[in-house]
Amino acid sequence: MSDRRPMATRAALAVTLLSCAPTLGGCSSGGGAPAQDSAPSLIVSTIPAGFPKGTNIERAPADNALTLDRALLGKRLFYDPQLSRSNEVSCSSCHQQQYAFADPGTVSTGVEGRTGTRNAPSIVNAAWGKTFFWDGRAASLEEQAGQPIENPLEMDLSLADAVARLAADPSYVDGFQKAYGEAPSESSLQKALASFVRSVVSGSSPYDRHLRGDDSHFGPQRKRGEALFLSEKAECFHCHPSGSLSNEGYFNNGTFTDGGDTGRQQVTGRVGDLGKFKVPGLRNIAISAPYMHDGSLPTLEAVIEQYDAGGRGDPTTDPLIKPMALSKEEKADLLEFLHSLTDDTLLVDARFAP
Amino acid sequence: MLSLPLELLMAGQPFVFGQPNALSDGGSLVPLNFRFYISDVRLLQSKDAPVPVDVLTAAGVPEPYGVHLFNAEDADSSTLRVLAPAGDYTGIRFALGIKLACNQQAPASLEDPLTDASQMTWPHTGGFLFLRYEGRYTAADGSSAAPAGIPPAVHMGGDIQQELVPHVTVSSAFSIPANGRLEIGVRVAVDQVFKGATADIDVSDIAVGLLSTPEAIAGERPRRELPELPVFELQP
Repeated sequence: MSDRRPMATRAALAVTLLSCAPTLGGCSSGGGAPAQDSAPSLIVSTIPAGFPKGTNIERAPADNALTLDRALLGKRLFYDPQLSRSNEVSCSSCHQQQYAFADPGTVSTGVEGRTGTRNAPSIVNAAWGKTFFWDGRAASLEEQAGQPIENPLEMDLSLADAVARLAADPSYVDGFQKAYGEAPSESSLQKALASFVRSVVSGSSPYDRHLRGDDSHFGPQRKRGEALFLSEKAECFHCHPSGSLSNEGYFNNGTFTDGGDTGRQQVTGRVGDLGKFKVPGLRNIAISAPYMHDGSLPTLEAVIEQYDAGGRGDPTTDPLIKPMALSKEEKADLLEFLHSLTDDTLLVDARFAP
Repeated sequence: MLSLPLELLMAGQPFVFGQPNALSDGGSLVPLNFRFYISDVRLLQSKDAPVPVDVLTAAGVPEPYGVHLFNAEDADSSTLRVLAPAGDYTGIRFALGIKLACNQQAPASLEDPLTDASQMTWPHTGGFLFLRYEGRYTAADGSSAAPAGIPPAVHMGGDIQQELVPHVTVSSAFSIPANGRLEIGVRVAVDQVFKGATADIDVSDIAVGLLSTPEAIAGERPRRELPELPVFELQP
């Protein structure tokens, strides 16, 4: 027999139910380790509001536990231009702290001024990522860490050569010994870089505080923008769900046009993955311009305009990307909400600086 | 362990994820997203009460919350595995979705497969989707206007105030041997999902808020019809 009971209004009771959800029972998995109470200075136990369970420490792989020694070693490597063939660029050249560890350039610039094809994404809160790079070709931060070093358009140095350089530096030899109990190796180089990236956590934006119940910096316009963001009119939430703001999936958001970067299809070979790119998290989005995989949109206003238009018109655009006919006020509300995602403390946090 | 590999079909032919699938009208359909939850699995017996069984991961451990997420993008998810006692059975019954107690909780308080990464979340006040489909149709003449029976998206969900998850019964006799190991294929007729999604069913009573969109309405129709819609079939 079909259940034909009417679907009642959801929102009003929902907040009440969710607020007392822990007492409802009936949906338990029996897992979950507690967060560390006393964390080392570079490694914090903060979980950004609305993110999945588990601190960055708990989410580190078993063969690369997140320790202070490893994160500090990774930070030194992250800022070291020795990891590029010409000693010109480091990881930090494209992941700049003042831009929330993103790149203000349209596309990344590597050794000898070589330019890539994509805008470097932010590394913030990558500890909660499932896959990495715009096309998701890396399944772990460790796997990701070595690829820019070897990419001819980026740092253009083989991992073997990178290790040789590090092995010639007694201070690095000591650092690797302390962190991994061994001399520098390709594996430990990648693990150390991944450890630093895993330590970069942003969870103090007005939005984070709003989700924790503090609306002192989350006024009416930001609330209107949030409501619109989560509505079926704007439909942002399909890819950017409340809280984590990324569903870790791949979608063709209407930026792809014929002849452009084919994105996820380069990994899977599927026709349906043409023009799909990984959904980025949006923490600190207001200061990590330009936008989209190709850095083709210079401002958040331009991003909102593109979505409002339903993309650039390519027939491969995801069916959920449709013209929205947002009003001028609604666009302003959305923009203000996006500005609430900025964690100013991250940009100047000395723990993450060289 | 009873293994139930799930195969997507369209009009009896394999429906390949991410690739153009030829349709009878000369057009083609590329599925871009297709995933659904299965939970509360029970084996049916001719005389005795249904036997509730644990849903297992590929590693053989219980799935968190007893919930399996089929994700057409992930081959590892394409088989439903349950720990079943030996015996003779007349079929299988399961919930196509998640129970109310899970649907009422925020994804951030849960773990996979009930996190945002499932791509099955509505805004936190709306619970989870039970089934999600999106696809791209191309007509024989190259146009993208889909015929009435091919919805561009189907988002089936529940309600955090009441238990609305549909239950599906799939009848077919099978015996699980003493060693407990058996594999039975399950055909998933996507065309039946579309049939339900585009049926002439008045769901105007849900046309409020989140559920007023075409994809949500397309999902609500099969939710109501699913007990009778032959979406699932055990391979003989």
